[in-house]
Amino acid sequence: MTLTFFQHIFRRATRSIWENLYLNAVSASVIGASLVLLGLYSLIQNNLSTVIDSWNKDIHISVYFAETVDDERRLDLRDQIHAMPEVVQVRYVSESDAKKWMLEEVSGIEETLSELGDNILPASLEITLDAQMAHPKQIENFAKRIQTEDFVTADYGVEWVDKFNAFLRMFQTLGTVVGLLIIVAAMFLVTNTVHLVIYNRRNELEIAKLVGATQSFILLPFLIEGAIQGLIGALGALTCLWVIHKTLVGQVQQSETLKLVTDLTFIPTSQQIILLMIGLTLGLVAALIATLRFLRKVG
Amino acid sequence: MIRLYNVHKQYGQHVALRDVSFTVSKGDFCYITGPSGAGKTTMLKLLYGAIQPSAGQLQVAGMNLSMLKKNQLPRLRQQIGIVFQDFKLIPSRTVGENIGLALEVIGTPRNLIERRVQAVLNIVGLPGRDHLYPAYLSGGEQQRVAIARAIINDPSILLADEPTGNLDGAMAVAVMDILQKINLRGTTVLVATHDAALMKRFPYRCIRFRNGQLEKR
Repeated sequence: MTLTFFQHIFRRATRSIWENLYLNAVSASVIGASLVLLGLYSLIQNNLSTVIDSWNKDIHISVYFAETVDDERRLDLRDQIHAMPEVVQVRYVSESDAKKWMLEEVSGIEETLSELGDNILPASLEITLDAQMAHPKQIENFAKRIQTEDFVTADYGVEWVDKFNAFLRMFQTLGTVVGLLIIVAAMFLVTNTVHLVIYNRRNELEIAKLVGATQSFILLPFLIEGAIQGLIGALGALTCLWVIHKTLVGQVQQSETLKLVTDLTFIPTSQQIILLMIGLTLGLVAALIATLRFLRKVG
Repeated sequence: MIRLYNVHKQYGQHVALRDVSFTVSKGDFCYITGPSGAGKTTMLKLLYGAIQPSAGQLQVAGMNLSMLKKNQLPRLRQQIGIVFQDFKLIPSRTVGENIGLALEVIGTPRNLIERRVQAVLNIVGLPGRDHLYPAYLSGGEQQRVAIARAIINDPSILLADEPTGNLDGAMAVAVMDILQKINLRGTTVLVATHDAALMKRFPYRCIRFRNGQLEKR
């Protein structure tokens, strides 16, 4: 095969795209739409993982002192806990610190707090644990170990983080299954669209075979066409996802509650490349299936 | 150039060709004739590899078609030119593109294709018509375009299936003149026809079929 042969092939491919613009646009749109769905899944999954990771890295336990424990004992307990190998940091929060924090965080609570008295919020220790202590059972055991009569209660709400992790795993499995279904459905639709293009050009292709066209002469332009459809579809999908992401970021920034959770990130470059590759492969495989089916029929 | 030994072609229970043997030498002009349904078109289809014989041996341009693999078919067709009764031109392509297709499939550079298109258009008497679409040409002109496409790559064999079937008398003669001219350049020409008047006007060897068998005279 010479360079001229490939020039002819490429010219035939671009000409066919131009002559069957509507059908090619349908194929690229189908690929694009399926990749938007896959990309959305990826966008959600990545951001959920980021949230979970940030929670897992920042494992806190708050233990509240009983009213009977004096300041000296409190500081002693703080040092004891700090000396434990699982502990990264311990912060002592006095009653006044707690009240100050509450006044800063919750607006309009001044009156209520003053009515309830000075020491309504108990003093506590905020313990930051090592990231390896991510399992809820480990945290629970640790909390039980340090909880003596000096403390009234311990707050280690990580169980729901674990539940969230389980949800994320289920979301991943479901995403994989739905993703595969979307790819298969897109492949089916694109194959049939390419088939329509081939049907439009069947006379030309049969004549080409009669004058000595090889399988590659028939097949390659459709593969190029499929690849271009796939790439255009994928680029369109990435653009759509970028717009969706930007819109969501805007909405998250407006919402005080969501803003506290995390910054929304876009799909990482590696996954963007994977989406492009999926688009390319979808276009190529659909074109290959449709063209081989035609070639088998005409002999 | 063409050799057949006891070629047999059967479609299900229907026998289309039975024990056909003949030879056509290089540079011959030859008619394949007979009434409708005699097996003329089946014969030509066998010669350009559209179908395979059920039995027997068939050699065209040095290739044994009885054992021809699918991937060898383009090589056979690049050595033979085919002309059909219904022209088989691509309506969405210009005359030049239709003719040039036979060179495009073998990767000939565009400038060479353009030169060859002009040359064959001169041979078939349609100079400067390369930019027109087939719909703007008469039946006779379209058939001449089909002949130009068939000869553009200098085939050693030209097969024509009822090339004058859709043309009036004068046009049919013009087409036969062109086929004769091509034959004089050294190309083996096989014409399937049942036009007795034309065969009388251009007398050449006739291979006659009746009910799928060679007619003995």
